[in-house]
Amino acid sequence: MSSSHKIILQVDRLTKTFPGVRALNQVSFDLREGEVHSLCGENGAGKSTLIKCLSGIWTHGSYDGTIKIDGKEAVFNGVSDSEHAGIAVIYQELALVKEMTIAENIFLGNEPTVAGIIDWNIVFSETRKLLDRYGLKLDPASVVGDLGVGQQQLVEIVKALSKNRKILLLDEPTAALTETEVEILLNIIWDLRKKGITCVYISHKLDEVFAISDRITILRDGESVTTLEASASNKHEVIKHMVGREITQLFPRRPTTPGKPLLEVTNLNVYDDQNDKKILHDISFEVKAGEVLGFGGLMGAGRTELIMHIFGAYGRRMNGNVMLNGKSLDATTPAKSIASGLMLVSEDRKRYGLILDQSIGFNQSLASLGSFLTLGMFIDGNREVKKNWEFFKSLRVKAPGLDSVVGGLSGGNQQKVVIAKALMTGPSVIFLDEPTRGIDVGAKQEVYELMNLLTDSGKAVVLVSSEMPELMGMSDRMIILSEGHIGGEFKRGEAEQHNMLEAAMKFHGKGNA
Amino acid sequence: MTKKISLRDFSMVAGLLLIWIFFSMVEPNFLSSRNLTMMAIRLSFTAILAFGMLLVLLPGQIDLSVGSGAGMIGGITCVLIINQGWGAGSSMLVALLIAIGLWALMGALIAFQRIPAFIITLGGMLVYRGLFWRVIESKTIPVQHGDQANLLSMLTTEYLSKGLGYVLAGILSILVLLAIIKGNRQRAKHGFEVDPWHISFLKFFIATQVIFLFAINMNQYQGIPLAIIILCIVGFLIYVITTHTPFGRYLYAIGGNVEAAVLSGVPVNRVIIGAFALLGAIVALTGFMAASYQGSSSTTVGNLMELDAIAACVIGGTSLVGGRGNVLGVLVGSLIMVTLLNGMELMSINEMDQMVARGLVLIMAVWLDVFLSRKKAR
Repeated sequence: MSSSHKIILQVDRLTKTFPGVRALNQVSFDLREGEVHSLCGENGAGKSTLIKCLSGIWTHGSYDGTIKIDGKEAVFNGVSDSEHAGIAVIYQELALVKEMTIAENIFLGNEPTVAGIIDWNIVFSETRKLLDRYGLKLDPASVVGDLGVGQQQLVEIVKALSKNRKILLLDEPTAALTETEVEILLNIIWDLRKKGITCVYISHKLDEVFAISDRITILRDGESVTTLEASASNKHEVIKHMVGREITQLFPRRPTTPGKPLLEVTNLNVYDDQNDKKILHDISFEVKAGEVLGFGGLMGAGRTELIMHIFGAYGRRMNGNVMLNGKSLDATTPAKSIASGLMLVSEDRKRYGLILDQSIGFNQSLASLGSFLTLGMFIDGNREVKKNWEFFKSLRVKAPGLDSVVGGLSGGNQQKVVIAKALMTGPSVIFLDEPTRGIDVGAKQEVYELMNLLTDSGKAVVLVSSEMPELMGMSDRMIILSEGHIGGEFKRGEAEQHNMLEAAMKFHGKGNA
Repeated sequence: MTKKISLRDFSMVAGLLLIWIFFSMVEPNFLSSRNLTMMAIRLSFTAILAFGMLLVLLPGQIDLSVGSGAGMIGGITCVLIINQGWGAGSSMLVALLIAIGLWALMGALIAFQRIPAFIITLGGMLVYRGLFWRVIESKTIPVQHGDQANLLSMLTTEYLSKGLGYVLAGILSILVLLAIIKGNRQRAKHGFEVDPWHISFLKFFIATQVIFLFAINMNQYQGIPLAIIILCIVGFLIYVITTHTPFGRYLYAIGGNVEAAVLSGVPVNRVIIGAFALLGAIVALTGFMAASYQGSSSTTVGNLMELDAIAACVIGGTSLVGGRGNVLGVLVGSLIMVTLLNGMELMSINEMDQMVARGLVLIMAVWLDVFLSRKKAR
């Protein structure tokens, strides 16, 4: 059972920089043949970047440091090089063709042919053998799209293994799985381990990590902190290493005395019909005038889903009640929410926030065109431009002018345009989802100051952030979500990071079905 | 707010000039007042339909049924006038309402049922063509009884008197002057940069030159055609709708990024249905004018008009995935298509080769567009 001590893969002082960010800083760790090695760290600690270096997405030469496989330096100039070296990656997002059968997917791009004609008998019989070997009771002829997400994940793993890979990298494979599916997956990984296949397992869920790992390497802020033997460690130790950082950034929060409640949410239960899953369970909270309420939690905890639902852009409400400014808000469309005084700044500004081909002015006023009308139907261009200038200047957007195309701006300036659009609707409650993601330190400070100005003027801010220091630094109150439940609520200065991380994991593996 | 002229816009206008120079050299009649008048009338309904097409291309939709639809609406009108003995005005009103209803229905199917516009309107193209032939029983129905002109026949056969033409040109020039002065004043009032006076004067000078040159030229034949006045009115309306109303902004926003548009509170379904309903009205107007231009409704009216409209939009810089395009560009695109058709007819090139040429121009224009936007993306 125990793994040999032969080092199959060694990462030595790997450093990867992006403009303005050092994603990996001298990361070192090694893989023993046949072990399950977990990588743990907060969001943004560098796990995904590391995986991308190992899978050849970031090619050799785009980083410093070395990757050695079986003692020889690996030079990956693309994904196929890393595949040839025996590395397979299972990503959180699936890479299967939903319209094809399991067998077709597994042999996609690799079909056995006789004189150029695919030999379907071989395809199906080989698939049958593979599925049997890993104990999956699935029909090779079933269409992948008809399977559950978990089963699809398993098919993907089988597909990766069909090509004789010896190192399997699993990036958050259980994020979308149900309890039983997680169990099957863990069993498969355990089985692979017995067969000498080495696994790198990335997960936020420490229970799973401890259930299957031989060793655990912890990343924090792009650095490898330490590697622990799982049998000689525990969850608390791992959490301590994950968060053990000094908060050096400045969070200039100026708390105000909260006024009357502006947004009250009671017993909200939300169902996601597309993924056939209950996403939010009995969520109740309120936000008062002049208050910043922070929402924390791990990826997939339901934070974005919660605010998108209240805004009218996601999910089906099973029951529960939302009151905005003392009036019931059953927002079925964002248009209604905006009209009632609620606005959202989404986490993905390029996808959900901006019309990239259009100008700054076009984007800024898009959500508030109704306030510039003359004769009830025409936009008063002068009034619009004047208002646009006001926000352009007060938010210090750095661009030649309102006519500049938004797609050409830096992340920070794009974010300011999205925020300007939100503010121009004159909201009383504003949702900020990861408002500082991917923007530089200076722009971050400006966003924080803006939150202060908003609360000074009696508005309420709901902040969703994955960066713990930001969440703790800018929120007056914090609610931690865990698997769609409220995992804990903390007042400003009351919580330690490890309390919050524990709250975030409170509902893991409990009643997910 | 000075706008830079892009390489693409420039190549479009340069292409138009080259085509004009070519035809005026090989065919002396090309620049005659008579031919220019004929071209102006043809331009009027080609461009009007292209303006309508712009409304649905901007939010990333398409309509292949407009040619058949225009034929059918013209057919219904002629049948009501000739076979049923209705007045021209009431016949046209009924046909207009039918068109708006049908296109709003197609818009609703696209918006609510999520059926791709390509499929809905491809079906519509066949359905309308079939209904059209049934309505006119595959005969030729004239637009008027004998030689009694009516509202329908006058659309493309009526000309303004020469005096009225000049008066109108004068009024238009004064309006341009007032618009420039008012614009500058407003900008000054709000503290924006104002064009120096010589630039303002140059704008005014060029505009009046174009207006009067056109009026003088038309007056040498029969006068300014009524159809051109209709084109100006429709063009102005579509310009105002696309640039100065929230509805117009939403068209661009939906075509640019529909998800962001939804989260900005844009009522996407209503906007798309509205765009199709407006297009329906324009299809009806085009149907009237096309029948009037031919003097009758017969099975071939409206043939391939959808392709000319789409080609005019694309040549004029409208993106087929949505979010980009404007009235002026579409006008230039329509002018290019109409000039090509007219010039080839003058040179008595046969219809088969004309079709080949139209197709090639469309392909070249799209290729140019793809090429230039790929360059921009680098």
